[in-house]
Amino acid sequence: MSEELSEHEAIPQAEYSEDGVDLTLIRWMLSLTPAERLQVLQRHVNAILELRRLNGG
Amino acid sequence: MADSDFLSALRTLREGGVEFVVVGGLAAVLNGAPINTYDLDIVPSRDEENVGRLLQVLGRIDGIYRLQPERRLRPGASHLRSPVHHNLTTTCGPLDVLGTIGRGLSYEDLMPHTTEMEISGGLLIRVLDLATIIALKEELSGEKDKAVLPILRRTLDEKQRAGE
Repeated sequence: MSEELSEHEAIPQAEYSEDGVDLTLIRWMLSLTPAERLQVLQRHVNAILELRRLNGG
Repeated sequence: MADSDFLSALRTLREGGVEFVVVGGLAAVLNGAPINTYDLDIVPSRDEENVGRLLQVLGRIDGIYRLQPERRLRPGASHLRSPVHHNLTTTCGPLDVLGTIGRGLSYEDLMPHTTEMEISGGLLIRVLDLATIIALKEELSGEKDKAVLPILRRTLDEKQRAGE
């Protein structure tokens, strides 16, 4: 289930630390189990390697 | 070079009875840091029996040095018993077998700074904790290590705030 943001609501913004780190991304990763974090990394690596292959790298 | 398959590499090491600690980028990810890495860094116990088990696993996953791949050089027991780094390529992707890390920290030195994590059904591995990963990266002067430090520090802050 999801709810569409109403026209009058402010768009939720990511929260950054003073040194520019996206804290919402960290909180999302911390909400996952180690097994899920490993799956996220593996998917990222697979996607980047596939993009490299498609671009002849 | 084969693509990284972290789970297969870790499963093969565990099934082979190898005692090791996961360090580096993958350890940071397993601790919740949103970063990317392509290789698996481990610090194994360098006792004779464990090195024997590690050699058997490296044979199964065709572990050879990444440098001069045409020579297909593989480490021997005496090499794996030394404190140096072995940058290997395997059928599960790049694997760095590190005799020691930082200022000569061995498997036994690191063990008190690890937690056991389940990364797949029943598969438990020892992972270096985030505070120690940060301390080690602070000692290093590489640009890559410096670049990732703010993310690691904020991840540790958030973990501590969450009481993890």
